Amino acid sequence: MRLLNISLRSFLWYSLILVVVSIPLSFIAFRMLLNEEVNESLRFHKKEFLKHIKKFEYLDDLETDLEVLDEFTFELSINRTNNASQSEFIQTVLYFDSVEREQRPYRELVSPITIKGKDYVLVIRESLVESNDLAFAIGIVQSLVILFLVLGLVFINRRLSGKLWTPFYSTLNKLKQFQLDKSQSFEPEKTAISEFNDLNKAILNLTERSKVMYQQQKEFTENASHEMQTPLAVLHSKIDVLMQSPELTEAQALIIQDIATTSQRMSRLNRNLLLLSKLDNDQFKEMEVVDLASIINIVSANLEPFANAQGVIIEKEVMPNNITGNKTLIEILIINLLSNAIRYSLPNGEVMISFTKNKLVINNMGLPLAVSREKLFDRFSKDNSHPQSVGLGLAIVKRICDACNYNVVYDFKNDQHQFSITF
Amino acid sequence: MKILIIEDETLLAKSIIEYLKGESFLCEWASDFLTAKDKITSYEYDCILLDITLPGGNGLELLKQIKLQNKIDGVIIISARNSLDDKIAGLQLGADDYLPKPFHLAELGARLHAVVRRRKFEGKDTIEFQEIKIDTTAKTILVNNRPVSLTKSEFDLLLFLVANKNRVISKSSLAEHLSGDDADYFDNFDFIYAHIKNVKKKLAKAGCNDYIKTVYGLGYKLAI
Repeated sequence: MRLLNISLRSFLWYSLILVVVSIPLSFIAFRMLLNEEVNESLRFHKKEFLKHIKKFEYLDDLETDLEVLDEFTFELSINRTNNASQSEFIQTVLYFDSVEREQRPYRELVSPITIKGKDYVLVIRESLVESNDLAFAIGIVQSLVILFLVLGLVFINRRLSGKLWTPFYSTLNKLKQFQLDKSQSFEPEKTAISEFNDLNKAILNLTERSKVMYQQQKEFTENASHEMQTPLAVLHSKIDVLMQSPELTEAQALIIQDIATTSQRMSRLNRNLLLLSKLDNDQFKEMEVVDLASIINIVSANLEPFANAQGVIIEKEVMPNNITGNKTLIEILIINLLSNAIRYSLPNGEVMISFTKNKLVINNMGLPLAVSREKLFDRFSKDNSHPQSVGLGLAIVKRICDACNYNVVYDFKNDQHQFSITF
Repeated sequence: MKILIIEDETLLAKSIIEYLKGESFLCEWASDFLTAKDKITSYEYDCILLDITLPGGNGLELLKQIKLQNKIDGVIIISARNSLDDKIAGLQLGADDYLPKPFHLAELGARLHAVVRRRKFEGKDTIEFQEIKIDTTAKTILVNNRPVSLTKSEFDLLLFLVANKNRVISKSSLAEHLSGDDADYFDNFDFIYAHIKNVKKKLAKAGCNDYIKTVYGLGYKLAI
């Protein structure tokens, strides 16, 4: 549910309750106000009446006149009484209206008075607005109020959510599209609403800081690998110089050989890490038309001596076809896959490369996987029977495929390892 | 041959000097930008080994200076920043070669020889070792003035050994020289043994003395 609808719902509930409560409240308030008004007017009439009567007290037949007055006026009645101790009071009484044919409410002031030493009961009455009518009128007015209130709220809500929240949704969309590893930065829209401006500022701050940190982390890996190259170069060169010593014993020579092999492995590891960090840093952007068949031929020719040394034969079935991509990466991809196939091939086995249209398939006879299939492409996951492997080859293959949107699939069937890549 | 080594890493510079000395190389060493600039301006060298990251400045700047002064010194860039951009920039500025760190000294020796040869003899030259004569342009080998037919790998291998004569060459540096970065993917360099055997056989057949010695546990050495 949208934020504005939630607040609208609360507004509507509140106004509904208010209106429902206000109908009886205003009814009671109006009634009281009207009664009070009528009471005052009744008391005023009584006072006026007594004042006038005083003027006519000299008349002898005033008593008869009063009887006549009582007979001829509806709003006033005056009757003789014996109970003079009765006190004045006001009440509401219903009388039947023969014209309208219904009961009508009247407010009457009943008050004992004394005229010329005789006790009378004076009743002055005034017609009241009917309760039903009053309630009806108030109901109508309040209903109209609630109707316009709801309509107005819904309308304003529509307008607001359309206009007011535009910058918010634009920010939201931009955030959804924001990718840390892409170079484009978060650019918020200018808005007059200070909360959204604050939000945008905070997001901009956050994204910029994340980008800087991500960049630093990427650069750190690359710099660390670069910095490693110099000490490695020193190590290599010292081993090369040491080898030249004329008095080396066989045992010493073997130790030097071991050191040399280890330092080779270290530089290989470092080079692979550097390659991975360069891939992460998007440093292979150049695209060109690549003659894949010729790359396969060159790579397999280069690797043939290594394969033959293991008694492995490389078979090729390559159709000439050009694809668009980064040549360096495609070369690395093929070298990694092919050298991997040679390394894990059974002695005197066969490695088969086929390339048709846009699909590259490399097969080799081998023992089942020593690592789990899920971890096959993970960094540093390796088969312990090949200690010289650094465990980055297939991670690099996967990373290249991810970076270039190639699809790589591994399968193991009939003792055959198979990697297929769709370009 | 006079060589200037511009390298701020003392240990590496010393190794290079140690490896190259005794050959016909005369090595000088500059460890920072300003010393290097002075030396470049004041003297002539057959080849300059140039590191890119130097205290006091960028090696590529020195390369520009060398080219501005119309020096004919050969330049090999040795850089820890193994990036294609540096390589392209260096070669475009007129460097003769680019060797990323870490490298084998034997590889450096061979590249140094190649650069000096190209510069001195304008690319037409032969390199000789006893009765072996190698024409690096035509890629042919003469033993006692009779041609010996070698495959490309065998030719490269022999040239590499001759350029690093009297030095022990490890199998891994031979493998790296022959198959480039692809050697990175293997630890088994048995194929070198097969190549060496073939070269020895072919040379012997042509009446050449056996100069290629196997150094146990380490590699090979070409020596009288």
